Amino acid sequence: MPEQLPLPKRLSAEGWKVKIRDLEHGEPPHATVIRGTTDWRWNLRSRQFMDRQPNARDVPTELVRLMRAHHADLVRWWDTTFPDNPVGPGEEE
Amino acid sequence: MMVLLDPALDPVQDTGEGEDPGARFPRLSMVSNGLLNLRVSNRSGYWVASSASPTERFGPRDRLGRDRLLVTAELDTALREYLEALFLDVVTGPPASFLPLDQLRHVLESDRRQDLAVGVLVNSERQAIVLIRGNFARIVVPWSWFRPTPAGLAPDFGDVEVIDHGLTIRLGRYEAAVEAILYELDRDFRARERQRRIDMDPAFGAALRRLRIQKGVPRSGFPGITEKEIARIERGEVSRPHAATLRAIADRLGVEAADIETF
Repeated sequence: MPEQLPLPKRLSAEGWKVKIRDLEHGEPPHATVIRGTTDWRWNLRSRQFMDRQPNARDVPTELVRLMRAHHADLVRWWDTTFPDNPVGPGEEE
Repeated sequence: MMVLLDPALDPVQDTGEGEDPGARFPRLSMVSNGLLNLRVSNRSGYWVASSASPTERFGPRDRLGRDRLLVTAELDTALREYLEALFLDVVTGPPASFLPLDQLRHVLESDRRQDLAVGVLVNSERQAIVLIRGNFARIVVPWSWFRPTPAGLAPDFGDVEVIDHGLTIRLGRYEAAVEAILYELDRDFRARERQRRIDMDPAFGAALRRLRIQKGVPRSGFPGITEKEIARIERGEVSRPHAATLRAIADRLGVEAADIETF
C-alpha cells in the first residue's frame, strides 16, 4: 500500500500529494511530490530535489518544510518498501 | 447536429494542405459536448470523445490521417473500423479504462504527455497490461514486472486504473509509478530522463547499479560472477567488463548488453 504524507487541508485542496509508491524508479531513494501532471522527486539521502525540471521553486516552502520534518517517516516507509535499496549507507558492499 | 464552439477546429478546415504560419500550438479546445481536440500542428492532433455519438461529425472526406482518436466508450465493430480507416490511430474502451475527462484534458495539455498514462487495459489471458500513454502510444507490461512488496502486498490485476493525472497506476491497493515502468521499458524515455536529472552518474558502473536495483537483483544474484566482481564494476574499478561477463549480466537483468549504460 503506498505511503502518503498527510498534508494540511490547504495544500491537499490545491492538489498537492507526497507519496512513496509500491513500485518506484529505485535509484536514488526518493519521495515523489505530485500536483496535477507534474511530479518532483525529493532525494531522501540529500534532502534536496533531484531534477533540473520541473523547477523545485514551484513547490511550496511549507510542503518542503513538512517533508524535512517527517524525513524519518519517509525514510522508514522507503526502507520498508525497498529493503534492498535503503536510504542509509546500507547497500551491501 | 452538434454546435462547434470553435469553428476553426473543424477537421475539414483544420487538416487541409495549407499551413497557417500564424497558428499557435499546441491548442486544446472542447469542440462540442464530449469531444476534445488538441492540435499539435495544422496537420496533426489528438481527439478524445466520451461516447460514440460525437464521432458522427467525422465524415469520409475529412482529412484525419495524421490525427489520433481516443473514444472512452465501447464502439461497435463497424464504427470502429470506419474510424480506424479515417485516423492514424484509434484507441477505444472498454475493456480499457481511462482517466476522468478533466484529468485526461490536463494530460493532453502537458508538454510531457507521452510520459503520462491516460488509460490501461488488462489482458488476463496473456498476463499483461497495456499502458496507454498521453500520445496514445501503447506499451505492454507483463504482470511479472510488478513485484509484490516485502510486506506481501501484491498487485490486483482485477482492479486496475490510472490515477494521479497519469503519473500512477493503481492495481488494487498497490500503486506503481508510471515513470518506473517507462524507465525500464522505453529507451527514449530513459534518454529524456537522463537530461532531466541532476544527480545521475553517467558511468557504466552507476548505470548497472541503477538497473540492478530497479530489477531487485542482489549483487550475489549473478550466476558465474562473484558478488565482489559486481561491486568492483559498480564502483568503477572495472571500466568495462569482458564481453562474456557483460552478456551474463545483461541476460540476468533481462536487457540487451548495449542497453545497460542507458539506465
